[in-house]
Amino acid sequence: MTTASKRWRELGVFITFVAPVLVLILLSAEIPFIMSLYYSLTKWNGISKHITFIGLQNFKELFLTDTDALASFFFTLRYSVATIVATNVIALLLAVVLTKTFKLTSILRAAFFVPYIVSLVIIGFIWKFVFSNAFSSLYEWTHWPLFQWSWLGTADLAFISVVFVSVWQSVGFYMMIYITGLQSIPGELNEAAAIDGANGFNRFFRITLPLLMPSLTVALFLSISNSLKVFDIIFTLTFGGPGKTTTSSTMDIYNEAFVNNRFGYATAKSLMFVVLILLITLIQVKFFKSKEVEA
Amino acid sequence: MQNKGFTRSVNTAVTIAALLFLYPFFLVVINTFKGYKEVVTNVLSWPGEWVWDNYAMVWSLIQYPKLFTNTLLLTLASVAGIVLFGAMAGYKLSRTKTRLSTFLFFLTIAPMMLPFQSFMVPLTKLAKELHLINHLPGLTLVYWGLGCPMAVFLFHGFVKSIPMELEECASMDGCSSYRIFFNIIFPVMLPVVSTVIILNVMWIWNDFLLPLIMLNGKEATLQLASYKFFGQYKSEWNYALTAVVMVTLPPIIFFLFMQKFIIKGMVAGAVKG
Repeated sequence: MTTASKRWRELGVFITFVAPVLVLILLSAEIPFIMSLYYSLTKWNGISKHITFIGLQNFKELFLTDTDALASFFFTLRYSVATIVATNVIALLLAVVLTKTFKLTSILRAAFFVPYIVSLVIIGFIWKFVFSNAFSSLYEWTHWPLFQWSWLGTADLAFISVVFVSVWQSVGFYMMIYITGLQSIPGELNEAAAIDGANGFNRFFRITLPLLMPSLTVALFLSISNSLKVFDIIFTLTFGGPGKTTTSSTMDIYNEAFVNNRFGYATAKSLMFVVLILLITLIQVKFFKSKEVEA
Repeated sequence: MQNKGFTRSVNTAVTIAALLFLYPFFLVVINTFKGYKEVVTNVLSWPGEWVWDNYAMVWSLIQYPKLFTNTLLLTLASVAGIVLFGAMAGYKLSRTKTRLSTFLFFLTIAPMMLPFQSFMVPLTKLAKELHLINHLPGLTLVYWGLGCPMAVFLFHGFVKSIPMELEECASMDGCSSYRIFFNIIFPVMLPVVSTVIILNVMWIWNDFLLPLIMLNGKEATLQLASYKFFGQYKSEWNYALTAVVMVTLPPIIFFLFMQKFIIKGMVAGAVKG
């Protein structure tokens, strides 16, 4: 076989292996993304053929007059901070307890993991039932006032409910990440420190935690990007209410596009949102990568 | 020793916490066996009289067999495509050491940085123009595109650890590039294949937002139909909760059988991805 024809054949092979993925990805992510760069500069209701180019008008409106976008972004931030802290602290605690071996360890790990495999729409619905029906029965039984509060009906409590349910749903997954991390820490290090007289508290904060930094980076990265994008759980649990107090940025974008039918404006919003997400994740990864140590 | 007592009380505490943790599921399940009146008046206790009708009713009300088949086919077809195309591209891009292939690799994984919300609006518009909305094959195609970046990334990384000699030997024996991939490389990649399968099955089976904006009415997935069903039967909790159980049971059974693989796969995907 001549080298030239071999080359052509290799190119043919390369194309058959790579082209399908490229076409698919361009089609369902990259071309739409480029389109959204254009639509963000237009006024368009999403249905009509009439698309008006309006330059930076959308961004002007977004920055100067849109209080909904700002409110939903602040909700997303508050929600994210609360969820990230609570999820990771509880997950780490559970992981430390459940790496010690006792009879029920593997069953308990599975128990905490189960909510993570249930879809968020269903989770929202289950908790809607718990907060409304089960709580009123619990009140009749215990007469504790907390079961009588309107957990989804008042702004502050609805915030707590959304955070609580999110933590409940995902804590098992993060626990597994920490368990995997803890299991990779050599036991001799802790033993040596114990012989040198370090107590449990010191051993955890001086040895285990620094060595756990890679897992912490991963867990934080995932929990940050997931919580900033929160949508489904709010959609079924509170639908953004009461009022608009639990409307997240993603839900605000969804409403703008599919309820208010302002596609152009919604894409402008979503682009701003992406820039913010990328900034936040970038800062976080940079910060935590610098804190990792080797065993 | 004081230490032993401490360990035991921690273990007891975590066991009680786990039971409380699962209590909502327990409440849902016992209330599916009650009639309408009992669900409203008596949420916490065992059913006074065990009612089985809810399951039969919901089975036909939401057309469960059809929805289940829809969701299953959608998930299987999507995941099969993601694994096949992702593995092929990940392998070839990793083995070809040219500037073009490096560029194409970054082009392929770039969407991992883009949140879905940033392009979902134009995606529906593009899909509409290409006649990909309102039916499952179109949705499958979009899932292929959305799932591939992560899959290519995972396969690309794994192929680096496979020794080149394996392919060189086969190639000298006259094996074609396609046979090398399918008979030699693909079997070696099975650990990543399982990670990719698990991550994508969990995602696609449970996904809500994409079906919500891509399918209108006629065809539906379990998640979408159950959401509409909850809206319709808002106050009839006995039916709504039964729907919850029927939608949730398949993934939970799948999880209980494949627990080890699922947890390992999901954590591996998270750590590498």
